Amino acid sequence: MPERAPGERKAVATTLPLQVVILLAWLVPGLGHLLLGRTRRAPVFAVVILVAFAVGILLNGELIVPKDGDPLSYLAFAAVLGNGVLFVAAKLLGLGAGVVTSASYEFGNTFLLTAGMMNLLLLLDVHDIVTGKKDW
Amino acid sequence: MLDHFSLMALHAVLIAVFFAFLWKADRRERWRYFWKVFGALLLGAIAVGWLMYPFPRT
Repeated sequence: MPERAPGERKAVATTLPLQVVILLAWLVPGLGHLLLGRTRRAPVFAVVILVAFAVGILLNGELIVPKDGDPLSYLAFAAVLGNGVLFVAAKLLGLGAGVVTSASYEFGNTFLLTAGMMNLLLLLDVHDIVTGKKDW
Repeated sequence: MLDHFSLMALHAVLIAVFFAFLWKADRRERWRYFWKVFGALLLGAIAVGWLMYPFPRT
């Protein structure tokens, strides 16, 4: 059963410009869906991304920043930047520096990259919902 | 908790839950999709692992 019939949604974000909704959705995982009235899916997305991010940090993963001579680091940076405030908060707290010698370093990176990319996918979903391409 | 399999399973669970909720609206469809994605990731990784078995890194 769909979580709500289309007409029942209380979409707070319908009054906000698309860019603002997408910006908020990027900053806080799940917030975009919450603003659009997807009250059941929003917390699930938030928890999944938060758990993936936290596990990545706990596994000594690295919040990769662009490095000269390493083109792939730019892609990785784009992915981890997708974590929004989680990325900024972790950087401010000195987390996510990455311990290359740790056995779980690559696992941590995988979780951090995945969390960011999942949030970026949510931005596309928010876009589709606001523009009417997706009605649930 | 730090072994390869547990972490891989956790990763698969998170991804399967995420995509089930992203792409499926119906509760029954979500469950089916979850198990499909979770199974594909877990069994696929094991299968690839066995395929790589004859080719050690050293």
